Amino acid sequence: MKQTKHKLLSFAYYLQGSKRYNKIKNFVYDLLENDDYPYKKYFDFFMIFVILSSVTLLVMDVKQHIPAWLDDFDLYFVTTVFVIEYLLRMWVYSDIHKIIIDEYEESSYFDKEVSFSSLLAKIVKNKWEYMTSFSAIIDLIAILPSYRGLRVLRVFVLFRAFKMLRYTKSLTGFLYVLKNKKFELMTLLTLSTFFIFIAGIMLYVFEGANENKNIHNLFDAFYWALITISTVGYGDIAPVTPEGRIVTMLIIFTGIGLISFVTSIIVSSFSERLGVLREDRVVQEVGKKKKLTVVCGYGLLGRLVVQGLVKEDVEFVVIDSNEEMATLAYNDGYHSICADATKGGIFEKLGIDEKVSHVLCLTSDDIQNAFIAVNVKSLNEKVHVAARCSDHEIATKMEYAHVDQVIMPEEVAGMMGAVYAGEPVAFEVLLSIIEEKAKTQINEVSITEGSFLDKKAIGEVDFEKLRLILLGVFKRSEDAKLGEFIFNPSDEFVLNAGDNLVCIGYSSAVANLKRKM
Amino acid sequence: MKKLQDIVLFGYGSFGRQLYKSLRSRGHRVKIVVGYDDYVEIESDAEVEINRINIKRNDDILALNINAAESIFYCAMNKTANNLFLVLTLKSLYPEANVIANSNSNETTRKLKYAGATSVIDLYEATSRRIVNVLTKPAVSMALDEIVYKQNDLKMLELELQENTFLEGKYVSEIQFRQMGIILIAIIDKELGYELVFTDHRINHKLDAGDILVIVAKEKDINKFQEMLVSKSSV
Repeated sequence: MKQTKHKLLSFAYYLQGSKRYNKIKNFVYDLLENDDYPYKKYFDFFMIFVILSSVTLLVMDVKQHIPAWLDDFDLYFVTTVFVIEYLLRMWVYSDIHKIIIDEYEESSYFDKEVSFSSLLAKIVKNKWEYMTSFSAIIDLIAILPSYRGLRVLRVFVLFRAFKMLRYTKSLTGFLYVLKNKKFELMTLLTLSTFFIFIAGIMLYVFEGANENKNIHNLFDAFYWALITISTVGYGDIAPVTPEGRIVTMLIIFTGIGLISFVTSIIVSSFSERLGVLREDRVVQEVGKKKKLTVVCGYGLLGRLVVQGLVKEDVEFVVIDSNEEMATLAYNDGYHSICADATKGGIFEKLGIDEKVSHVLCLTSDDIQNAFIAVNVKSLNEKVHVAARCSDHEIATKMEYAHVDQVIMPEEVAGMMGAVYAGEPVAFEVLLSIIEEKAKTQINEVSITEGSFLDKKAIGEVDFEKLRLILLGVFKRSEDAKLGEFIFNPSDEFVLNAGDNLVCIGYSSAVANLKRKM
Repeated sequence: MKKLQDIVLFGYGSFGRQLYKSLRSRGHRVKIVVGYDDYVEIESDAEVEINRINIKRNDDILALNINAAESIFYCAMNKTANNLFLVLTLKSLYPEANVIANSNSNETTRKLKYAGATSVIDLYEATSRRIVNVLTKPAVSMALDEIVYKQNDLKMLELELQENTFLEGKYVSEIQFRQMGIILIAIIDKELGYELVFTDHRINHKLDAGDILVIVAKEKDINKFQEMLVSKSSV
């Protein structure tokens, strides 16, 4: 017994450590569940094909008999695919070996023996969690039609169509709306059930005996009540006595009321949820990104910054507390959320702990910017925060709150304006460098390890031939976060991998150097 | 070298105030003009003289007795409409005037340029570039901070070559600017017309009097360089 336990444990540790096992499991997980995985969509297409072919066969089978090989295809191939898929999903849902290891470590901590039964119970409980999830149940039911003994089970093929819902996300939003208005809808359902119940019994009492040849039992009466109250009115069962007709008239009125009520609840719920639905979608979409920049405020500055970010392929999301501005950003084609950036909620949704790397506070209100900056910094101090500010006093307060970069547009523009007086040429140079509108730009090139510039002295590099003006070298020091800019380094200065050359030149010259790296 | 200018600054809002500070720190003479009902906030320690006029009236502007040929006008009013109107007024009064206006978007820039502004400074353009640079090009952003934004001894400036300096008649490639601690970024070479050219080694310029060099260097190296220019010219 002890030996088996020991073997089990060592096997669990072996799996934990095995690179190959983990690689395969990760691959399967990516294929089944990870929407970011590029090859998942091929798997999805394959599954959709299998599902559609199976449903097509079901429909074809109604009128004409399908050939035996197609039936075999349905019976063996489709079923096998579904069974394998089901088992794989169950497999990647959790790691059994981790449960075993946890259990052993816990019991060895308390000097206890591991009991097999509790271990087994834990594993079963864990996998049972998966099996009782909505999508797993659908998957399981979709396998059932392969059992040919029961004809009714054939209809369950349609559950295979349900499986396709896995691949559409918009439906979850609709379900959410229904869930949100659960109380109202339940009240209406109870009410209409009550009406149907009363009306059905009344009609049965009035016409059930022999008066109406179409009403044989209570079920017929209830069926009639539902058809009437829903305003469908087939007319296969119609009241014949005056009493029955009075009941009909009454429930038609209630029916119209109920239906318009249901419609208005769903419509209003949708319009209420529209903002939230959009927010959820944006959060979901940006959730796929590994690194995210949050731009707070979509004013004049915010818009310019966003344009710059687009050009540089930075992933970002715009937050504005003003509905109009958020919509404007949305209409401009950016991810945008209408939310209050001074609150923690939205940043937590966006993944402030891992994904968000930069937050830019660009509203036109200094105090608001400071508020946002403090909010972000208190959530995660590591996030780089840049804030706009137009007052020196507020700038010092922001610096006290460890805002990484305080920018004063008025100061920057004022300084530029002052350069113009007396030095119009330098101003022109400055403008074309800073606004990056000319072909000659200032850019940086990072030195990669083993490249032709690695471990070279500046004097040995022919910048003339590269058609670049070297302004300086940005050296990333190990302890300081920022590093250091060395202006015009001497010829003896030795370049190392990780250093950045800051140079001015044609964009093609810079691109050329980057290619050489 | 740097000329001290007479400057007329219209508007003393948050941008105007910063502009005034920068201009004063460079030693220019600045006259501030605002409208009668413009709110002006003056910091207690600053000694600022403010002229209040009715911006809409030509007579009021003419009464300021401005030597338009020698002055630079800055339109830094808070409202775009006022700035635009001011540019129009100034240009109609002094067609040759050097008018700089501040703008807050491409749209406004277009209108101001059409109205005749010599140059337009976008309040947000430089800032937005700076913010984006911090994210995408940290080295560039640090370099620009050192050269342009921070108050330190590293400066970018322009130099007009006088007659008879040691640079005259020489080619750019012959001169060891880097060894003198100077980086030559751009040049206006009179022989090639008055166009600004970056010196990224595509053309080897011949230096003559009247050429304008735009350099980046530390203050002490600039001073040394200027001394050299003067001493060699006297030899």
